[in-house]
Amino acid sequence: MKPHYISAAAAGIFALALTAAVAQNQLSSGQIANSLAGVTNDARLDMTAVQIRQAVLDNIRDYPGALPPRPLSFPQLANLAQFTVEVEFDFNSAAIRPESYQAVGSIADALHNPILLGYGFLVIGHTDSVGGRQYNVGLSQRRAEAIVAAMVDPFGVNPAILQPVGMGEEQLRDPKHPTSGVNRRVQLVNIGKKFCFGRSGEQFACP
Amino acid sequence: MSRAERRQASIFLAIVFIIGGVGTSIAQTMSYADAVQQLATACGADLRKYCKGVELGGGRLKGCLDANQARVSPQCQETRLAVYASIARRAAAQRDIGDICSADINRLCGTSHADAHLVECLVSVAPVALSPQCNQTFTDTGWRTERAQQ
Repeated sequence: MKPHYISAAAAGIFALALTAAVAQNQLSSGQIANSLAGVTNDARLDMTAVQIRQAVLDNIRDYPGALPPRPLSFPQLANLAQFTVEVEFDFNSAAIRPESYQAVGSIADALHNPILLGYGFLVIGHTDSVGGRQYNVGLSQRRAEAIVAAMVDPFGVNPAILQPVGMGEEQLRDPKHPTSGVNRRVQLVNIGKKFCFGRSGEQFACP
Repeated sequence: MSRAERRQASIFLAIVFIIGGVGTSIAQTMSYADAVQQLATACGADLRKYCKGVELGGGRLKGCLDANQARVSPQCQETRLAVYASIARRAAAQRDIGDICSADINRLCGTSHADAHLVECLVSVAPVALSPQCNQTFTDTGWRTERAQQ
């Protein structure tokens, strides 16, 4: 047991010395929070999560094929502050792999950052092209819901600020390599102020 | 602020930073990212063996580790208790700080707003000026060290 503690202490000192260097490579919650706050958008999204889900299904119906013939575009989302994180799930499952726990923890740290207080977010799940398009919409929806579930318990994020949406494979990040891991990701989009605060700190839905 | 005061302040910040970086004392909570990373590292083999395919959220992973506590490695057992305690303590601090610190904020910053200005107010005053409970809660939120790193 003793060597374990000594090496832990050494690792701590080492980590401290390397903090500045490592910060560049690691996903930082401050970076996520700043990106999500980036646009001082009091512009709110004029689309609901339900409408986005419908647009995804319409895209599959209107542009059929094994792969989406063209990526589904949402100009309304493009201008909003957002951040994308690669998250690995078990195959055909909504279970986040332990390798991605840290990334998911960073999202939780960012959502608790005071600069994002009161804002609401879409949590958009994207899959790669393995599996049918329709199936992947459902899979990515379950994965987006699993991210939201983790944000709420154990990380204590208010569920009222998060809306999960499954985009399936309709917006591949790398269409030339549709099965590549870079396509499997979670996109957070700031959809504007959700809660306002009164004089004595009470929360209410913004008018 | 005089030069001597500035030097004192920077020494103080350096000490805070060193304690925050190296310390494993219970006076600090971990970031959520560090907490679950420790869990994934210390419990990796046990997670693959006993909790494969179990979701992190909704209390499921914690439930699985609880159910298997007699079987997981001592290292995993020790880490999971510390990790879940830290997460719960940070989440409670972030949830309750508006209530716990409302008198302090009112006294020190002339406002009782529990919004983003809360942190501006609390970082602007010396920790000793805060009531011990508000000071500890603010530390537990992690916002003090997060702000120092920005």
